[in-house]
Amino acid sequence: MAYAAAEVTGAPSVGGKAVDFDVALTAAAKLLRRSQRPLFHGLGSDVQGLRALFRLAEHCNAVVDHMHSQALNSSLRVLQSRGWHTTTLGEVQNRADLVVMLGVDLDRGFPRFLERHVAGKHALQQARRAHRRLVHLGPKANTPTCPADLPMDVLPTPIDRLAESIRTLQGLLQGIPLPSVSDALQALAARIAAAEYPVFVWAPGQLPTATADLVIGAACELVAQINRTRRAAGLALGGDDGAQSALAVSAWLTGFGTGVGFSRGALMPRGELGGSTTALAEGGIDLVLHLGSFSQARPPASDKPSIVLAPPGLAPSEAPDVYLPIGIPGIDHPGQLIRTDGVVALPLRALRAPHHPSATEVLQRLQSALERKP
Amino acid sequence: MTTRRLTELRGGRIYDPTHGVDGESRSLFIDDSGHIAAAPRTPAEITQTLDVDGCVVMAGGVDIHTHIGGGKVNLARMMLPEEHLASLVGRDRHPWPGSGVATPSTLTAGYRYAEMGYTACFEPAMLPANAREAHMELADTPIVDKGAYALLGNDDFLLRRLAAGAPDSEIADYIAWTLHASQAMAIKVVNPGGINAFKFNQRKLDLDEENTAYGITPRQILLSLARNLNHLGVTHPLHIHGCNLGVPGNVNTTLATIAGLEGLPAHLTHVQFHSYGVEGDRKFSSGALAIAEAVNRSPNISVDVGQIMFGQTVTESGDSMRQHAGSAFASPRKSVLMDIECDAGCGVVPFHYRDRNFVNALQWIIGLELFLSVGDPWRIFLTTDHPNGAPFTSYPHLIRLLMDRSFRRDMLATLMPEAVAASNLASLDREYSLYEIAILTRAGPARSLGLANLGHLGVGARADIAVYREHADRERMFSSARYVFKSGQVVVQDGRVVAAPNGATHVTRAEYDAGITRSLDDYFARYMSVRRRNLMVSDAEIEDLGRSPLCIHSTRRQG
Ligand SMILES: [Zn+2]
Repeated sequence: MAYAAAEVTGAPSVGGKAVDFDVALTAAAKLLRRSQRPLFHGLGSDVQGLRALFRLAEHCNAVVDHMHSQALNSSLRVLQSRGWHTTTLGEVQNRADLVVMLGVDLDRGFPRFLERHVAGKHALQQARRAHRRLVHLGPKANTPTCPADLPMDVLPTPIDRLAESIRTLQGLLQGIPLPSVSDALQALAARIAAAEYPVFVWAPGQLPTATADLVIGAACELVAQINRTRRAAGLALGGDDGAQSALAVSAWLTGFGTGVGFSRGALMPRGELGGSTTALAEGGIDLVLHLGSFSQARPPASDKPSIVLAPPGLAPSEAPDVYLPIGIPGIDHPGQLIRTDGVVALPLRALRAPHHPSATEVLQRLQSALERKP
Repeated sequence: MTTRRLTELRGGRIYDPTHGVDGESRSLFIDDSGHIAAAPRTPAEITQTLDVDGCVVMAGGVDIHTHIGGGKVNLARMMLPEEHLASLVGRDRHPWPGSGVATPSTLTAGYRYAEMGYTACFEPAMLPANAREAHMELADTPIVDKGAYALLGNDDFLLRRLAAGAPDSEIADYIAWTLHASQAMAIKVVNPGGINAFKFNQRKLDLDEENTAYGITPRQILLSLARNLNHLGVTHPLHIHGCNLGVPGNVNTTLATIAGLEGLPAHLTHVQFHSYGVEGDRKFSSGALAIAEAVNRSPNISVDVGQIMFGQTVTESGDSMRQHAGSAFASPRKSVLMDIECDAGCGVVPFHYRDRNFVNALQWIIGLELFLSVGDPWRIFLTTDHPNGAPFTSYPHLIRLLMDRSFRRDMLATLMPEAVAASNLASLDREYSLYEIAILTRAGPARSLGLANLGHLGVGARADIAVYREHADRERMFSSARYVFKSGQVVVQDGRVVAAPNGATHVTRAEYDAGITRSLDDYFARYMSVRRRNLMVSDAEIEDLGRSPLCIHSTRRQG
C-alpha cells in the first residue's frame, strides 16, 4: 500500500536516526524476539488495533497495560466489589431531570458533554428537560461553563471531601439526623429526593488515585440506595485514548478487563490491579512497547529499551529505540471505538489518503516477522 | 465432467430427523466444497475415508439461545475476576488461551461449543444500540456460525409510535429496518414494555398493565411485534421473554400470553423461569404441567426450557426490572444494572443455585418436567439460557438427565425432600431417544430459525457434522466429540480442537420503505446521542476484512 508522502516529519527511526520503515520494523522485531518479558503499554488504538495487539502480546509473553489503567482499575475495583447501576448518554439526554457532577472538570475533560447531552432542546420526556438542573459538586475552580438555559447550582467541595459529601447526601436521604450539614447540601438532598431521574456523573480519570475508589464507591452506593424505592443512575465519563475499547477487547478476548499478561501459551492475570508502574517495579520487564494513536502519551519512565507506535504529531519528543509511525483511526483509516458508556460502538471513517499504515497493519507485520524463523 | 473428490465417513449410525433417518448405519459423503454429497458413482471419487464404525453421527448442534456476546456478557466478565482466575485455559488445551465457564472469553466459548459438537450459536439479546460491539465479540468467537436477535419492545421509538396509533405497515418497516441496522437474525422482546416502565419507576408490569409513560400494555406490544414479524415473513417468530420472569404465580401470565397471541407464531424462551405457581406452604410450586398442556395444544408456540443446574453461575438479562429485584439475592453480593440508550436495559447478577434450597430445587424439577411433558420435540429446544440457568457446558449432563430415567431419579433423590414431594417428576418415565435429542439440539432449532442447510445431513447441506463415540453414559458421550466437521473441515478430533476457522454470521433481511428511515433520521437527530447512520452496522463490518462470511436470509412479505 502506498502512503501519502505529504508528512515528512514522522520518519521511522532506529536509535533516533531516520530509517526506512522496513528497517525500523526489522529492528522492532529483533527487540521483541530477544525480549523475555515485554510490557505492552498504552493500548491507545481502535478495536482492530487492539485485537492485533493482544494477538502479538500472546505471542511475545507480554504484560498488557493501558496508559489510563489507574482510572480503569478504580472503576473495576468498585464493579468487582459491589457493582453499580448506570445509564447511557442517550438516557441522560431524554430522561434526566437532575444531573449531579461529582468532582468532574467538564471544561477540561469533556467540553461538549453539556451542550450535547444535557442542555439540548429536545427530550422524549420534555417535562424532564424543562425542569432539568445541573449541580456541580466539586472544586470551585472546576465549575463548568454552563449553557444559559440550564440552571446550575454550585456546591464548592474539595476533592478530598467529595466522598464524605456523597455519604452525607446518602444519610440525609435516609432521614438520618446529621449535625452541621450545610444548607446547600440539605437543599441538594431535597432536590435529589424530589427528582424522578437524577444522574450522578463522575470521571475516574480526573480523580486522584487515593480518592477515586471512595468517590466512585460512595456514588454507586447512593444510586443503589435511591433505586430501592425511586429511580437514579450513575454515569462514568472517560474513554480517552480508546480506554473503553481496550477494556472491552481485553475482557472479551481474555476474560479480564485489565491487568492481564501472557506466559508460554497461558494467561497470566495479575491479581492486584496495579498498573504498569507496578509491573515495571516488580521486575522482569525487559522491553516496553508503547502504542498510542490518539494523544501524546509517553511510555512509563524506565531504563528499558522501547518501541513506540504513534502518529508522527503525537510521538513523544525523546526518541525511543525504535519508532514506527502509524495512522490515526478515523483520519487515516476506518475503525471502531467503544464510547464512554460502554454500550455504543462508533464507526470511524477515513478522512484522507493514509499517511501511515494502521496500528493493525504494523502489529500484524511484526507478528509475521516473529513467526518466521529468525 | 469434473471428478468429485469425496470424503467418506464410514460405518456411523446416522441420526437425521429432518429426513426421518433414525440410527441408520451407512456412509456419509462430504464434497470438497464442504457440503454433504450424494453417494459416489465410482469408488474413485472417494479420496479420503474416515472410519467411524459404531459412532453416532448427527448434524452439528445449533444453540438457539445462548448469551455469548455483547455488552452485558462483557460486563459480567469484568465483574467476575474470581470466576476467570479459577478457570484459566491455555494453549495446552485450546488454540488460544482464555478463561471463564459461565462467562467464557469469546475464543474459549467457540472452542468449547465445538468440542461438544455444536457448530452454530445464537445470541438472543442484542440491543440495537450495542449491536456493533455484540457483532465484534461474535466475530472473535471461532468455529461456530452465529447470529443474534435484536431487542425491540422497550425502545421509546416503538412505544411512542404504538401510542400514536401507528399503522402496522410502519411498525413492520421499523422491524425490518432494525433487522438490517443491527444485522440481526430475529427479533426478541424482553419483559415487553417493562424495561421501559422501570425507567419510570414501575416495579412490575403485568400483561394488561399500562406502561405509565406511554399507556401501552405488554399485550399490545407482543401482538404488534408478533403480527408484523409474521407479516414480514421472518422465519423465526417473535422470541419472547415474557412478563414477570421468576415471579411466583407467573404461570398464569405465561398461559395468558400463549392464549393472547391469538394463534400467531411465537417462541417462548427459558419458559422454566415463567412456570411458577403459588401452591403449598411456601407459596412456590410447579406450573410445568399447565404450561406443557398449553404448548401441546398450541401448534403456533415453541419453547426453550432454560434448565437450571446447581452451582455458581451469573444471570445476564435485558430485563433490568426483574434483575433489579433479583439483585437482592446476588451471590456473591454484587450486581450491575443499566438503563440503556432509550433502547432497553440490562442486569447482571451472579447467582448460586443450591440443591438444598426449596426454590432452586423446584426450578431444577420444573425444567425437567417441561422437557418430559411437552409432546412434540420439534417445538421444544434444549437450553440452559446460558449462563442464566447454567453454563452451556452442562448440556451433556442435561442430555443424560433426559435420556436416562434411573440417573434422573438418582439425582432427584439427592434434592431437598420437600421439593421432591411437591413434584411429580419421579413418576415421569419418559426417556428421550437419540433421535429426539437430535431434534432438540439441532434439527428443531435450525428449522425454527430457517437455516435451510444446517441442522440436517441431507445432500447439499453444509457439512457441519458431529461424530460421537457411542457410550451408555450419555453425558460422557456428548461432552467430547470424536470428530466435528465445520464446512467439511475437521475442527475437532477426539475432543480436541484441531482447527479454528471463522463461522458465518446469519442475518435476516426484510424490505422496508424509505419513509421509515426518514422518520428515524428525524428521531435520531432530535433525541438520540448518535446519528441513525452511525448506529447501522455495515455488511463490511460483519465480514470483518474477509474473516467472516455473511449469510443473508431474505424474506418476503405475506399477503
Ligand atoms: Zn436468555
